[in-house]
Amino acid sequence: GKNEYDLLVIGGGSGGLACAKEAAQFGRKVAVLDYVEPSPRGTTWGLGGTCVNVGCIPKKLMHQAALLGSALKDAQHYGWNISQPVHHTWSVMAQSVQNYVKSLNWGHRVQLQDKKVKYFNIRGSFSDPHTVRGLTKAGKETIVTADNIVIATGGRPKYPTHIAGALEYGITSDDLFWLKESPGKTLPSFILHVSLECAGFLTGIGLDTTVMMRSIPLRGFDQASHISKKNQICFTTQQQMASLVTEHMESYGTKFLKRCFPTKVEKLKSNRLQVTWKNADLNTEETDCFDTVMWAVGRAPDTKTLSLETVGVKTNSETGKIIVDASEATSVPHIYAIGDITEGRPELTPTAIAAGKLLAQRLFRHSSELMDYDSVPTTVFTPLEYGCVGLSEEAAVQRHGSDNIEVYHAYYKPLEFTVAERDAIQCYVKMVCLREREQRILGLHFIGPNAGEVIQGFALGIKCGATYPQLMKTVGIHPTCAEEVTKLHITKRSGLDATVTGC
Amino acid sequence: MGWEETQVRGYPEFVRTAQSYHGRPIFALFCGDKDAEGKSWCPDCVTAEPVVRKELHNLPDESVFIYCLVGDRAYWKDPNNEFRRNLKLTGVPTLLKYGTPQKLVEEECFKAELVRMLFTED
Repeated sequence: GKNEYDLLVIGGGSGGLACAKEAAQFGRKVAVLDYVEPSPRGTTWGLGGTCVNVGCIPKKLMHQAALLGSALKDAQHYGWNISQPVHHTWSVMAQSVQNYVKSLNWGHRVQLQDKKVKYFNIRGSFSDPHTVRGLTKAGKETIVTADNIVIATGGRPKYPTHIAGALEYGITSDDLFWLKESPGKTLPSFILHVSLECAGFLTGIGLDTTVMMRSIPLRGFDQASHISKKNQICFTTQQQMASLVTEHMESYGTKFLKRCFPTKVEKLKSNRLQVTWKNADLNTEETDCFDTVMWAVGRAPDTKTLSLETVGVKTNSETGKIIVDASEATSVPHIYAIGDITEGRPELTPTAIAAGKLLAQRLFRHSSELMDYDSVPTTVFTPLEYGCVGLSEEAAVQRHGSDNIEVYHAYYKPLEFTVAERDAIQCYVKMVCLREREQRILGLHFIGPNAGEVIQGFALGIKCGATYPQLMKTVGIHPTCAEEVTKLHITKRSGLDATVTGC
Repeated sequence: MGWEETQVRGYPEFVRTAQSYHGRPIFALFCGDKDAEGKSWCPDCVTAEPVVRKELHNLPDESVFIYCLVGDRAYWKDPNNEFRRNLKLTGVPTLLKYGTPQKLVEEECFKAELVRMLFTED
């Protein structure tokens, strides 16, 4: 018989909702399934996916809470009479953030209803390439059939299950943002931008926070040998941006246990957690007690309950993510996948949204436009933010050869830090360009306040193929941090001191 | 026990009434005052009220429906009135589930499916 829906989207997150709403706009019959499996700790949430509930949104709001704490400290220098030390109450922040997230859940619900998209709060699994069945929380079975199906179920944080006690006693970011009480003395582990961001705001609101890292921070971000401020050339490949960001965090009180990995987590009678770890450098075993242990060891695609094997949707054997082509098509006709669940794509909200919209346009509007994953700007919201767009230095070297690229860089000091007597030695900007002909800009990396806001505009420039000479003709806005980009002229190659002096 | 309705006027009476029903699901419809003929100065409220009333039978058991007249047009237009300041209302009519971020504002209240969704979904 005929399928009930033109489009069925499995997963009501950034990508899924965008795709569904776009298709509905074209007058199509669309359904969305969304279901949140409670975390091992029992945390659950509403419609909207990872970004809204346990990702970008609560993270940025808590990052802002921490920044406000710093601002309160700076305020004295600017004349404000604020009695120090200033205290933070977790439950007040958590409630405000959680209420806002719930209003977003509701907003999405209203939008779906308004756009006539049918919503099912069920966990779906494939029966055949056009049929998905699911059970409601009450145990009622629903069968949904559709001409086209888009899988957008995203991912969930992994647990290091080989570490004794990790699952029983640790939490993940899924739980952190929904805690009603303060996490207290916390150990985020290991290193992913998630644990740095969380450690950053936890420290910023006054909590004793220690990050345990097995190896290098911010894997996948810019890592290159760098010339430190003291003109020491580091021969081994180091995380340049990553180390600047973590140095800053260290100077503001986050503790780092480098080259350490936990071996077990035990619960004490006091209800605190005792963590035992191996220190690879000293070859010793150490322990300490924490109130909360948070795992940030990567995310796993949420495919377990989909029954992908039933319909033959191919996944990457290593990552478990769904393999898609440039049009987001899976190995099965009429089944597509977008967002965090897909292999080789950035795990970002804006790319999932754009991919979802373009997919709907290709399916129902005869468009042929594919999603462009090139030069996607991103930002890590650590206390000192790191924003970037385009190629890292290593990627540029790999693609073009070190003789064919020029790296410009500068250490600068935000004006606002001066009166506040704040250190700025990690505020840094680096631009990677081609050396020949028009000197096209390949990548831009910025560490400083509001890095996301700074990088956004330059992302347009890179998309348009901006060149170094064009940048030099672009007048800076004064006084800002962003203008430092327009003033870049010291090259790494020259070996000169890249510190900017005041105007 | 099914649902029950109570009618109030003005902010202090609304707060007192809501507090007295603490523990039960509370839904509230805020409308502009009605004149002697029973017509509100707020035309959207006139449209929304019958739509909302038609869906009241969907209210969960034990819940309370508070029909609240906010005041005259001048009071409402004041950007500092207590409903705007304390309940964060941005317009009338507003239909909301008290104590949650779930609400429908103005033309959203005209849509029976949205009203039903507010009354029946978690």
